Amino acid sequence: MTTINRQDSNTPVTAPPIASSKQPLPTVKTVDTQSVRKRLQSELMALMMSGDSGISAFPEEDNLFNWKGTISGSKDTVFEGTEYKLSLSFPNDYPFKSPKVKFETSCFHPNVDVFGNICLDILQDKWSSAYDVRTILISIQSLLGEPNTASPLNTQAASLWGNQEEYRKMVEKLYKPVA
Amino acid sequence: MVSDSIANASIPIAAKDFPRKKRANRSAKLKQCKLDARREQWLSQDAWRLVCSEFKCEVVRFVGYGSNYTSSVYMGPSEAKKSNKHLDVSGHAVMLTDHFESRNGTKFFYIQNSHGEDWRSGGYGKIVKNKGCKGEPDASVVVDAHNERGQSIENLEIMPREDMKVESVHPYSDLDSPSNSPTSHTSIALGSTVSGTNFSGSSGDSSSGSSWSGSVTGEDEEGDDECLDDWEAVADALAATNDKKKQHTNPSLEQHINAIDSPPELAHRPASQIVTSYPKPECVEKVQMVPPTGRAWKPDDTFRPQSLPNLSKQLSFPMNSGRHYGCGGVTWSSNNAPSLPSSCPICCEDLDFTDSTFLPCLCGFRLCLFCHKRILEEDGRCPGCRKQYNGGPIVGEATLDGGGLRLARSCSMIMRS
Repeated sequence: MTTINRQDSNTPVTAPPIASSKQPLPTVKTVDTQSVRKRLQSELMALMMSGDSGISAFPEEDNLFNWKGTISGSKDTVFEGTEYKLSLSFPNDYPFKSPKVKFETSCFHPNVDVFGNICLDILQDKWSSAYDVRTILISIQSLLGEPNTASPLNTQAASLWGNQEEYRKMVEKLYKPVA
Repeated sequence: MVSDSIANASIPIAAKDFPRKKRANRSAKLKQCKLDARREQWLSQDAWRLVCSEFKCEVVRFVGYGSNYTSSVYMGPSEAKKSNKHLDVSGHAVMLTDHFESRNGTKFFYIQNSHGEDWRSGGYGKIVKNKGCKGEPDASVVVDAHNERGQSIENLEIMPREDMKVESVHPYSDLDSPSNSPTSHTSIALGSTVSGTNFSGSSGDSSSGSSWSGSVTGEDEEGDDECLDDWEAVADALAATNDKKKQHTNPSLEQHINAIDSPPELAHRPASQIVTSYPKPECVEKVQMVPPTGRAWKPDDTFRPQSLPNLSKQLSFPMNSGRHYGCGGVTWSSNNAPSLPSSCPICCEDLDFTDSTFLPCLCGFRLCLFCHKRILEEDGRCPGCRKQYNGGPIVGEATLDGGGLRLARSCSMIMRS
């Protein structure tokens, strides 16, 4: 009994140091999330204010860390007139780590595989925390018209790229816009 | 600039404890937002005019403040005359941003000064409306004794009126240095502010009332172009408002004020020698200082303060550029000139002074110390050029211009890739 009592009476005394030593971790975490949120919100603002044509993105309803983006194919490319939806999911340590970006609409492209994964250097090793959603979307948009056929994810698309007319037909054939 | 040196001096302190500094920063920003919001609300009600007519203090001049800004005292013309120091000629205009009443019934004006955010509470201060009732024209006295950044406005000390006289007797030479010339700052730096200075009430010219109202409508964020472009216009405008007020002034009150305020030997000085003036109709009338011309100061006037710019058009004054540094998108009132990128591109938090002098990479990419530390803990590459951060960071070496150029370059590089 006495030991229990002592423990009970001790807990308030010992609690503060424990709490103070423990607190930094959770607070740091929340602060981090907050700063990520802040960054994402300001990116959203910047994106909406920028008025870039052909790209747009917006967070999903309840989650600021998951965005849906759209890219329309640039003029004078085989992707002209098409529109692609993408999903962007931001890690908790964004922007120090790159977001995961995937095509939701199937895209017949040398650097996009059948699952919508994108092979783009800035989304992998060339990522910089100075990039943002806008630059990502612009990069992907320009990637559509200028694929890197040297390291293709879709070899069929890569081999067909040389024949732009055929490629255009293929794009139109495989294009399934998401409503 | 003086404020720069002050900020420099505060670096070591600031560098010591980031968290507190950051917090102060945030609270200052919050305060700024509040002030802005309140100000907008206030302006939308056309309350500016209301204040003008009610408090007779449309433009407040700081008189004789020290170069270190440890005290900022507004003095009415009467006090200036009493102390016989011609202090009033050093007129410095500040802008009234709001007015409010504290719990104990003291009425204040919120003012914004033109010295940037380093000046006291993020560039804002308070002025006590001395008696705070209608028809009492002698609004006076300021305010605090600190140049502490982020200091809460509520904590400012209010000097009693007796102290005011003492505080305000600063050598006039304090105000002579160009960097410190308040008049040249104000009306330009505040953009469209109704901040006329240096008016010797030319009561005759009532035709210029339009310029007054014009300056009021230009209050918004229209920018530098709306700035009053002429000292004379300011003087005329104020004189015109004074005329209106004069009609409502109670004669006995006027007599009373005059008895207090105007020593007889001053009352009969020739107009050309009267250097102290103030948009106060009583003075204008009794002292009869109606300059022959409508302009505030003649260029050859002996008593013309050196700190005043020449009476040419002032639109091209370099302080204009100060506003452009103040980063687009932010409201006009945050003229935080020293920080080029106003916020860290990584975390979007505001860059404070230490951050803005922090140049970790030769490419010129700036970021806050927190993000820099974070990156060093991970891959350690500069976000701007992807090169490894190496060696000690270069702190405070970049000049404003150099930093700006290099920043621009790094930005454009990001765009391209």
